[in-house]
Amino acid sequence: MLRMENVSKIFRTELIETHALRDVNLHIKKGEFVSITGPSGSGKTTFLNLAGLLETFEQGDYFLDGVNVKGMSDNQISALRNEKIGFVFQSFNLIPDLPLFDNVDVPLRYRGFNRGERKERIENALEIVGLSSRLKHLPTQLSGGQQQRVAIARAIAGDPAFLLADEPTGNLDSMMAQSVMELLEKINDNGTTIIMVTHDDQLAKRAGRNIQIFDGQVSDIALDSSDVLIKRA
Amino acid sequence: MLVYNFTLALRSLRERIQLTILMVLAIAIGIGLLITVQTMSYQGDKIPLAHKADKIFFVQADNRDIGAEPIVRQPFMTYLTYRDANNIINADTPASKHTTVWKSDVILNSFDQDVRPFRASTVVTNNNFFSMFDVPFQYGGAWSESADRGAEPVVILTKESNDLLFGGKNSVGQQLRVNALTVTVVGVMAEWNLGRRFYDESYRMGRKDTAFIPDTFAIKNNINRRERLDCLPQDRDKQTAYRTKDVDGLINSECTFVRLWAELPDPNLADQYREFLTQYVMSQKELGRFPRELNNYVTSLYTMVTLRNELNGSRNPLAYIAPLFFIVCLLNAIGILLAKFMRKSKEVSLRRALGAKKWVLMTQYLFEVLIVGVLGGIVGTALAYLGLQGMLHVQIYQSDYAVTAQALSHAFALDWVMMAKSILTAMVSSVVIGLYPIWRVVNIAPASQLKSQ
Amino acid sequence: MEFRPILLSLKQNKFLSLLISVQVMLTVTVLSIATSITVETLKAWNMPSGLDHENIVSVRTQFFDPEVNLANAIVNDVNRIKQIPGVIEVTPNQEIPFDAGRPSKVYLSSEQDAEGFDTNFFDMNVDGHKVLGLTLIAGRFFNQTEVIQSSAEQATPVSVVMISQDMAKELFKDHSPLGKTLYLAKESQPVQIIGVYSNFMNGERLNGRGKSYHTIMRPQVIWQHGNNPNYLIKVEQGSAASLFEPITQALYQTPGRYIYGIEKLTRTQKRMYDGRGSQGAILLVVSLVLVLIAGFGVAGLVSFLITQRQKQIGIRRALGATKWSVIRYFIVENSMLTIFGLLMGTLLTMLFSYLMTQGSGQSFLSFSQVLYCSVFIWLINIAAVWLPARRAAKVSPAIVTRSA
Repeated sequence: MLRMENVSKIFRTELIETHALRDVNLHIKKGEFVSITGPSGSGKTTFLNLAGLLETFEQGDYFLDGVNVKGMSDNQISALRNEKIGFVFQSFNLIPDLPLFDNVDVPLRYRGFNRGERKERIENALEIVGLSSRLKHLPTQLSGGQQQRVAIARAIAGDPAFLLADEPTGNLDSMMAQSVMELLEKINDNGTTIIMVTHDDQLAKRAGRNIQIFDGQVSDIALDSSDVLIKRA
Repeated sequence: MLVYNFTLALRSLRERIQLTILMVLAIAIGIGLLITVQTMSYQGDKIPLAHKADKIFFVQADNRDIGAEPIVRQPFMTYLTYRDANNIINADTPASKHTTVWKSDVILNSFDQDVRPFRASTVVTNNNFFSMFDVPFQYGGAWSESADRGAEPVVILTKESNDLLFGGKNSVGQQLRVNALTVTVVGVMAEWNLGRRFYDESYRMGRKDTAFIPDTFAIKNNINRRERLDCLPQDRDKQTAYRTKDVDGLINSECTFVRLWAELPDPNLADQYREFLTQYVMSQKELGRFPRELNNYVTSLYTMVTLRNELNGSRNPLAYIAPLFFIVCLLNAIGILLAKFMRKSKEVSLRRALGAKKWVLMTQYLFEVLIVGVLGGIVGTALAYLGLQGMLHVQIYQSDYAVTAQALSHAFALDWVMMAKSILTAMVSSVVIGLYPIWRVVNIAPASQLKSQ
Repeated sequence: MEFRPILLSLKQNKFLSLLISVQVMLTVTVLSIATSITVETLKAWNMPSGLDHENIVSVRTQFFDPEVNLANAIVNDVNRIKQIPGVIEVTPNQEIPFDAGRPSKVYLSSEQDAEGFDTNFFDMNVDGHKVLGLTLIAGRFFNQTEVIQSSAEQATPVSVVMISQDMAKELFKDHSPLGKTLYLAKESQPVQIIGVYSNFMNGERLNGRGKSYHTIMRPQVIWQHGNNPNYLIKVEQGSAASLFEPITQALYQTPGRYIYGIEKLTRTQKRMYDGRGSQGAILLVVSLVLVLIAGFGVAGLVSFLITQRQKQIGIRRALGATKWSVIRYFIVENSMLTIFGLLMGTLLTMLFSYLMTQGSGQSFLSFSQVLYCSVFIWLINIAAVWLPARRAAKVSPAIVTRSA
């Protein structure tokens, strides 16, 4: 599903080279729910950017759904990002000028779906997150939790191969955070792979697998999957 | 506090100085064109002889045939017949002075064979002309009343014609020829800055008349009439002869070609003068003249010029374009201002969080736009000066270099009134364009921008 | 195309959007008015003169002494000028090319309601066509016996005339004008057309009516005090300026006269066009400066909008927008505002042209001009958006994970 082999990311300035990520080897399978943790500055965000195809990398290979993204043009990467990846961010990143319906619509337009299909997908996605009655509201008219649900709806509307969640509950209070997590788990249950970056160990434990990043290096810790299964039941 | 705000405003203008310069330029270019055009029409619309424009009156009475065209533009109707003009001058009227004006072209030629003759646009008038219209003299003065009565061969030259004929020397008492007639110079006019030449209703600015001769002399010697003769239909075939040959026929005919100007000691006597004119025309009607309904006009110079200005007003397309141009420049300035202010959102919300009141911020930004406005006004005035110089030269080019820059420069002069107007306009418009950006910036919630840091 | 999201987004940025539209509106108004007037003014601008105008000199002269014997004076003038080295031909004439006076009307029949055709008469002697360097198109030139030389009082009307090519076309379409008759005024004797000559420019008045070459040549030299002939002189290549003084001196040999102008026809031609030319140039320069300013303004506003929307652009990129679709977004957005502004501007232009022509009632506005101006401004605006939009496309999608 997602496989990184010896991926490195180096930031260069005139004076120094910083290895933000060093020789990352990683394999995430379809349907997994993986949490990524690590202290600030450890390379979490860089990993997220690489995994989400938001940044390019210098060394190694990155296979997404069996395709090596290395050396792809910007246009190809954009298309791949659009098709394979759904994003959920800490600060929601909704487009403030657009009502819910049109926010969810954004990636679908880039995908090139026709109008009917877009409408159906938008309505479905908003149905899943429980906001189908508020299509015409602007993001600012919603609570934080609701905004994050819209973001999730936007992320899943295009049926991505995996969902990349960056501190999805970081800006939310615990009640809302709980419901957002439940939503993500529900989506995971439906077969969507989820990679979630968080600094919250409690949340991280709810994932099936935890990857820790320290100083640009990845260590993979498989959680007790039975533990996870019990919780969800 | 105000001083503090002022220094803040100055500092803010200095940072991102390119934007400030752009803004000043936007306002300046708009102002430049606007003031250029406005100065031209302001100078062009100025009332000549303003201090007595309410006491000088143009006298018209309609002596055309019944079938003549109706009068649509009053000041450009008809003139008087020679006979009527003289009857009125000799009658008992409320006017203190009268003068008549008609135009001719004569050839002035010196007895000195080395001086080549030249054609002078000539005013044919009486001696009151010079006192009524405040003509300044360099040498000598107006001819006497007896010269009018005796049709004496006298001429008044202008500085220009005196330069050509006598090399600029005092030529009073000298002789020269008007066409083939020997005449004596009685006066040489000093530079006469009339603005527009109203007395022959041409309202010309550039080329000046260069000779003045008595009406009685011109009639006696059959000096050609360079005038539109308006005759009754039965006389139309004689018009050409009347213009160049048959002067006796002309002065006894019903053809109009004489402009009559009256000076009243008091503007309020105009009604009395109108009453007189009505009486006169009625008396002439009894003689079978003035076949039409009464169309008499006694119009002050002030009104004449104003009517003329109204007719001219809508001609220049630039007069329409300049304000639009200015607005576009202002819209640009708004955009720049908005961009400049919104960049400072964080600073503003921080200040607000630290307790700055709205009005305090408002004065700071108001200072900022006012400074921009004043700078724009100053640069704009300079641009307007350049624009006017350019227009002056275009005008000279258009007249095929027949007019000198000196003769025209008053029509393109930027005076204190227009400079003040320029800077004031710039300041007012800078405040107007500042309104929305300032309103936006002072309404930024305190610390709203800090949250996401 | 993403019209819907753009419209929704514009709704949230009403002020700035309006600013752009209003700018476009005013700019297209000014540009349309200016170009329409200019095109109208420069109609028939600098048409071929049909003359070797650099080598033809015109002299305007006047006798102020009524005692001068005009018949002798004219004969003397012509002889004296001819003797000057460098002079090739000379003819007395009334009208001067490029400066012909009020047009006259000629008629094809003597009926009271016959249609009149505008023209300018050129009265010259038998050498007239040589001075102007006209080519014979059909028929023949005048011969000496046909030329009437007389004072105005004793003159008999001419019996033959020549007409210009364009005049022939207007009067007789494709038929041959040779031998046809023409009435040079209402209730006059008919004259016979004996030849057609090549076109040359008459003057401002008929040029303004699209009849620049409508002339009729009459074989006559008529004099009268106060209305005596000018001279047209054909000179050797390049010698015109140096001949002004000898010609002037030759003419001043007759006393009692005044010469008020001697110039090359080139100068006359310049005078015919320079008023219009400079007005048109001023209007065009002003409106081009305006377009430039408005272009900068639009670029500035768009660049401000883009700075404000950095994050949004990053989000779009993250959600799969290609660089091109970011650029396209801004171009489409700007074009929508521009087109709205252009439509409003067209209405405003109509209003203004109505106001400006209320006096004369003659509309100068042409819709094709407005259309050209609109397209031009649209292109300028696309260019103005292009640079900031390219910058927008460079916004990294990774911006979305920052500052979170």
